[in-house]
Amino acid sequence: MQTRGPVIVMELPEKLNHAEVKSFLNELQPLLEEDRPYIVLDCSQIQYMDSAGVEMLLHCLEEAMKRDGDLKLAAVSPASAVILELMRVDRLFEVFETADQAVRSFQVFAPETTAEGQPWYAAPQGLADLKAAS
Amino acid sequence: MGLGALVVIGAGNRGLTQSRVQSPEVSASLEGSLLAAPLECVEVAGRSLVERSLERFAAVNLEAISVLVESDALIPPFRTHCRNVKFRVSSDLNMAIREELSDYSRQGIEHAFVNWASTYAETDLLDLFSFHREARQAVTPTFDQHGPLALWVVDCAKAQPLPIEKLLRAAGVNGPSEYFIREHVNRQDHPRDLRQFASDMLRGRCRTGPCGREVRPGVWLDENAEIHRRARVVAPAYIGCDSKVRADALITRFSNIERECCIDCGTVVEDSSVLANTSVGIWLDLCHAVVRENMLLNLEREILIEILDPRVLRATGASRKFVPKIRETQEVLKQISDLQQPRQVLNAWQLGNNNNLIQE
Repeated sequence: MQTRGPVIVMELPEKLNHAEVKSFLNELQPLLEEDRPYIVLDCSQIQYMDSAGVEMLLHCLEEAMKRDGDLKLAAVSPASAVILELMRVDRLFEVFETADQAVRSFQVFAPETTAEGQPWYAAPQGLADLKAAS
Repeated sequence: MGLGALVVIGAGNRGLTQSRVQSPEVSASLEGSLLAAPLECVEVAGRSLVERSLERFAAVNLEAISVLVESDALIPPFRTHCRNVKFRVSSDLNMAIREELSDYSRQGIEHAFVNWASTYAETDLLDLFSFHREARQAVTPTFDQHGPLALWVVDCAKAQPLPIEKLLRAAGVNGPSEYFIREHVNRQDHPRDLRQFASDMLRGRCRTGPCGREVRPGVWLDENAEIHRRARVVAPAYIGCDSKVRADALITRFSNIERECCIDCGTVVEDSSVLANTSVGIWLDLCHAVVRENMLLNLEREILIEILDPRVLRATGASRKFVPKIRETQEVLKQISDLQQPRQVLNAWQLGNNNNLIQE
């Protein structure tokens, strides 16, 4: 596990099956329970992934989103990409070529906190401000 | 030495520069059925191609910019005000171009860009003008790797005596020096090009970008756009003015939701353009499509569908209430009640009990 500023980068194991997922989640779960977890999962080592692996990715994303955080994938191998695509899960994630790119994408902006039940973003600016900003 | 620009809105350029394999008739019919306005007038990521072209001309401080349009109804809404822009409505665009060039010439404007707004080219306009001036020709046509473009530089005085359509059409054939454009070009020949343009903008492949504010990398939100905290927007994506993305919806893969749209609960919008004033119903999966009000064009299968059920797709202002035909409903209810009637089941075959066999 690496921490780069507010972003946590974790490398997924070679095998992402039921047994491996369990031990990996034990490690990741405390991080997911923090406020606004920004997590990058480095998929470069993955050789094998089954439905348990996909389920784990979805679980992590759900947990991160619940706490106004996000989960991004980096260095997804073609084989893993095919699995994600077949299960139509790929469209849920932002995928980057390298972990550095994924980390950088977190560091530019961060969403503002909003009350429960409110949309997480409602643009407060007027058109004139937008023009001035652009 | 003055320099002006004519930006032309209308379908008149198709014969001049069409270079795609697909037939112009197919494009025109799709465009006509799906869209209320020409493609160049449709807002993509907040602004139309016409407005983006006008901004490019305004940025080089031209003396005059004229927008020639076939009818008032085709003038798209503009978000920004450009100086020196005047509008002229004319049913004969070629005649209007000639007259404008003549006016320019009288005003001392010697050269003018002529650009059909369906072609958007991010070239260095001053470099193009310098090229034209050095070539000393009446018309300098432009082209890119896919063929000729609907962008010319015209010497106002030299071009006047010639019919403009012939002049522009002949420019590429008779071999005057042509200007090659290496930068980003978008031809709006087909609704697919709208999608391509949105995708290019969101990926940062062109200089022009989505309107609004980039709230996180690759996610642009325009004025009063709302995204529910349980919705997910995967970058890059654009959500337009006053649009709403409701709970559990997913906006992904370079999708653009234009102004005053609603993406209802649980719906996935993937690699699609939802054009202004469109409401998409709950738990739908919208992929590789361009949608406007109740029309859906699937770009993979090239099928245009009109959806009559307003619970699925509708204009934002349209009523959501769906009333099925009463007679059909009653028939269905009767069939259901018939099925629910307990049937008389005989335990064993008995003589005299089977009415079909024994008649008194």
